[in-house]
Amino acid sequence: MSGIAQKLASNQKQVAISEFFEKNKHFLGFDSPVRSLITAVKEAVDNALDACEEARILPTIKVSVSKIDTKKDIIELVVEDNGPGIPQKSIEKVFGQLLFGSRFHAIRQSRGQQGIGITGVVMYSQLTTGKPTHVKSKIATESTAAVVDIGLDTRKNKATKSNAGREIWLHEDGEMKKHGLEVTTRMKAKYQKGRQSVWQYLRMTSIVNPHAEITFTDPDGEIHHWPRVTERLPGKVESIKPHPHGIELGQLQRMLTESSDSRLSVFLRTNFSGVSTRAAKELCSAAELDIKIKPKQTSPEQIRALLEAFQGERMFNGKPVKLLNPPTNCLSPIEEMLIKKGLSKTIDSRYATTMTRAPNVSQGNPYQVEVGLIFGGDMAADKPVEVLRFANRVPLMYQQGGCLLTKAIESVDWRQYGLDQAGGKGVPKGPAAILVHLASTNVQFTSEAKEALADNGEVMEEVRKAMLEMGRGLRKHLEKKKKMAKTKEKFELINDILPAIAAKSAQILDRPIPNLAGSITKIMSAVICETNNEWNKSTKSVDVSIKIYNYTARARAYTILATWPEKSGGLMTNNEHGGRKEATGVWAWKLDTLQPGENMTIAYSLEGLEKGDWTETDVFYRGSQEIIGAMKMDEKYLEEIRNQEKIMLELNSTASQPEENPPETPIIETVAAVIEPSIKPPSGQSTLFGGDQ
Amino acid sequence: MMTIRMTAGETKSAMQSVVAEMYDKIVKGEPPTMTLPVRTKNNIGFDRKLGVYKYGKNKSVRDATSLGSAKQLLRALHIIEFIEDMIDSGKSSTLREMYYISESWGLGKFGSQNESNNLAEDLEIVTKCLREDFKLRPEEDGARIIGNLTLQERNRRGEWMRINARDDVGDSGYGVPYNVETEKIEFLEHDINFIMAIETGGMFDRLVENGFDEDYKCGLLHLKGQPARSTRRIIKRMSEEWDLPVVVFLDGDPWSFRIFASIAYGAIKTAHISEYLATPSATYLGITSDDIVAYDLPSDDLSKKDVEALNAELSDPRFADSWWQDQINMMLELGKKAEQQSLAKYGLDFVTDTYLPEKLAELGLA
Repeated sequence: MSGIAQKLASNQKQVAISEFFEKNKHFLGFDSPVRSLITAVKEAVDNALDACEEARILPTIKVSVSKIDTKKDIIELVVEDNGPGIPQKSIEKVFGQLLFGSRFHAIRQSRGQQGIGITGVVMYSQLTTGKPTHVKSKIATESTAAVVDIGLDTRKNKATKSNAGREIWLHEDGEMKKHGLEVTTRMKAKYQKGRQSVWQYLRMTSIVNPHAEITFTDPDGEIHHWPRVTERLPGKVESIKPHPHGIELGQLQRMLTESSDSRLSVFLRTNFSGVSTRAAKELCSAAELDIKIKPKQTSPEQIRALLEAFQGERMFNGKPVKLLNPPTNCLSPIEEMLIKKGLSKTIDSRYATTMTRAPNVSQGNPYQVEVGLIFGGDMAADKPVEVLRFANRVPLMYQQGGCLLTKAIESVDWRQYGLDQAGGKGVPKGPAAILVHLASTNVQFTSEAKEALADNGEVMEEVRKAMLEMGRGLRKHLEKKKKMAKTKEKFELINDILPAIAAKSAQILDRPIPNLAGSITKIMSAVICETNNEWNKSTKSVDVSIKIYNYTARARAYTILATWPEKSGGLMTNNEHGGRKEATGVWAWKLDTLQPGENMTIAYSLEGLEKGDWTETDVFYRGSQEIIGAMKMDEKYLEEIRNQEKIMLELNSTASQPEENPPETPIIETVAAVIEPSIKPPSGQSTLFGGDQ
Repeated sequence: MMTIRMTAGETKSAMQSVVAEMYDKIVKGEPPTMTLPVRTKNNIGFDRKLGVYKYGKNKSVRDATSLGSAKQLLRALHIIEFIEDMIDSGKSSTLREMYYISESWGLGKFGSQNESNNLAEDLEIVTKCLREDFKLRPEEDGARIIGNLTLQERNRRGEWMRINARDDVGDSGYGVPYNVETEKIEFLEHDINFIMAIETGGMFDRLVENGFDEDYKCGLLHLKGQPARSTRRIIKRMSEEWDLPVVVFLDGDPWSFRIFASIAYGAIKTAHISEYLATPSATYLGITSDDIVAYDLPSDDLSKKDVEALNAELSDPRFADSWWQDQINMMLELGKKAEQQSLAKYGLDFVTDTYLPEKLAELGLA
């Protein structure tokens, strides 16, 4: 553990702009007492989450805000985590120097990204209360925690430290704390509730960090708790080298002057992603530079020429130099299943759909779009939907209107998907919340405040496409709901009202209660399917029942097919009707003939899932008479699923290591993508249940 | 003129046949049904024999194939049971009371009072009974009458009480009860030449204060806006049983035209009992479109809704005659409407000294 902490600290480089900060604190989120508190919480919590992620620890974060002096608006903030901690000698640097962060020079998806974070908090506290920030840090290899008060000398760009010492750090239960960091700071700030509040920030953070447990004690002593809903840490984020398409002049200049490479071609090949030996030579040729030139000795004109070659403005053989895309494994999407869980634990709803698009590259920067939509429940139907924006898992709470993500939502005509929207433009109204997450190695913001994403046509189109897919899913859900409501009405009619009419009329006429079978058949005049998915607490499984009623005058025979989460590790048990596998994720039962007035039930349990994982089973039928509550099976559709299976099987049989790649795995991915075409795009997107679970 | 009153036994058996329609359908393996006339403007026509507008032959079948209509059938059964109980126990209830009583009807309870009122009307139409036969009373305010006419009303103790509507009443006049049938009210004698029905309370009180009823030997009746059923019924009874002309004195606007139509020709909602409520001999006295011009009355511009109402009246079969067509078209051309009380422009006595005598003279009543 200490190895990681020390390595992080040793990567730090310093940039002297503390004076700049003091003059520009409004850019950095410290422009109002309300915002300052949110920013402070944000910096501390982001650091905690990043540190835990890098150290592969499931984060447990406690945030507490208390009012110290109400008249002067002095607030004390305490943020405690269970991260790796910071070695004693690095505390001063981490907290005391602006832009002193390991992340500033590495290109990778990370929260803080520019390293101005926690130092800014220390500085703000210093400026508004004159008080230093108290830091307690324990790393795993040491038995006691280091404590120190960090202040800041903004003119000298140096930290001041006092009261340094060591102490034993105990948990509330008396156990020794293994590792972690606690920051206590007092600042001029205001606590406020609502859409732009510490509460909202932590709530949003919890949605996109389902692996984190967050507890917040507000100034009134009320405790808000967002539990951990998955034990799975976000995928390890790999650093990548910059891509020529995404580099700016200043950065290129700095890289060249700092390089110790002897030849430009070697520099290009080793310092950039997507540049092969061939491409390196071609870039040099396009820029009319000698490949043997020493990078350090390039002139400003040469650097400019090189940049123009990067951007394809200078050609090689009449064409821009072809570069490989940067690798996309540096991104860490939250993944569909986890977004769904994060949303569902935070907001009560009836319907949730989420989607992770395939990674993509824009201007040399890998990026990935994830979206989620929840509908129904307690949300207000007459208000604009709640827009939850995130960049690299960091909630964006201000400047909603100017943000690319909002603009993408506004560009969709939501009326066709069942939400209100005046004139088909703007943020739609309805009982819904829309989540958009952009993961990227280089998130472009509109300003230093990092609250709104800058315009980018490609990203916009990607978000828009995802919105359209989700919209179609919502429409399908609403249509199904409407049909189900109608069916429910019919059942109420024949189960409650009709018997009451029969009984009351018989009573008034003083005659026997008549048999209802004939009337029921005439009233329903349909075959009806009722599907129920219920979470069984005691068996930890989803109990599914599919009931088919024949309310027609003729005998009916069907094959019933149902979707089930085979791909995401679901296990079908207690399936007494047997049946057979029709395709991956689709089970089929051939029913005995149903006589008029008869009904029958298919029941089974789905094990290996968690509550909320499976709430809707799609039921299909084969047979001539329509079934209300089920869809007619499109055989072409099944055929397509089987074709995909076959292709994947063939692909797989040529794979070299069949033991390590069991043939089912890749098939299932593809099949699941085909089963729900309205939600899934056809290409290699990750599926409803995320990638590698 | 016949009155279609039914005995308790007849009422019950009429209701039983509604129940039997439902029951028999179930026995036959069909959805239960209730058959009733279509109750829209398109299904009313002039009955030459009766001189009023009645429902036509279009029937609609309410069957239990949707939840909504099935609930209507169940509610109808509950109402029938409730009415039978009232008949048996000699009680009556208001429509509003029935609405609240339905709270205990479980699946058959009403969603709103409008629903229960409409269903009670449906039952009247299907059974050809009257609300009074069902022991159901409306909430609506009955009219008041002043004038030298004498009737007797049976009080709560079952005794007949003799009332002269000039000498035995205060300034508010004789209050018309909800039930004005013969078991409740009998007309004894009168010394009047005609009945004048008046829309507004202000005008009614003006005529009373000015002693118009005595000067012109008439009965004054305050309609209280859109007249209640009992008001229309008592006008009809007085007109027929005493053979008296009826003149109707209303504001000069499209809505007053409709009030007149409901008095003289029958209302769409109650077209099943038009011959029982409507007084075809009633005459529209004023304010006419002509009056607005002739008396140069203070007037208001027609609103958009007024114009829509006038246009709808042009195609209403009840206003098909040339006199009404002229009046309606003239009002549309003027773009103006006037209130009864605008006559006060010429002083408080103008209406009794000049306007009404002139209008009545045209009809040969003054």
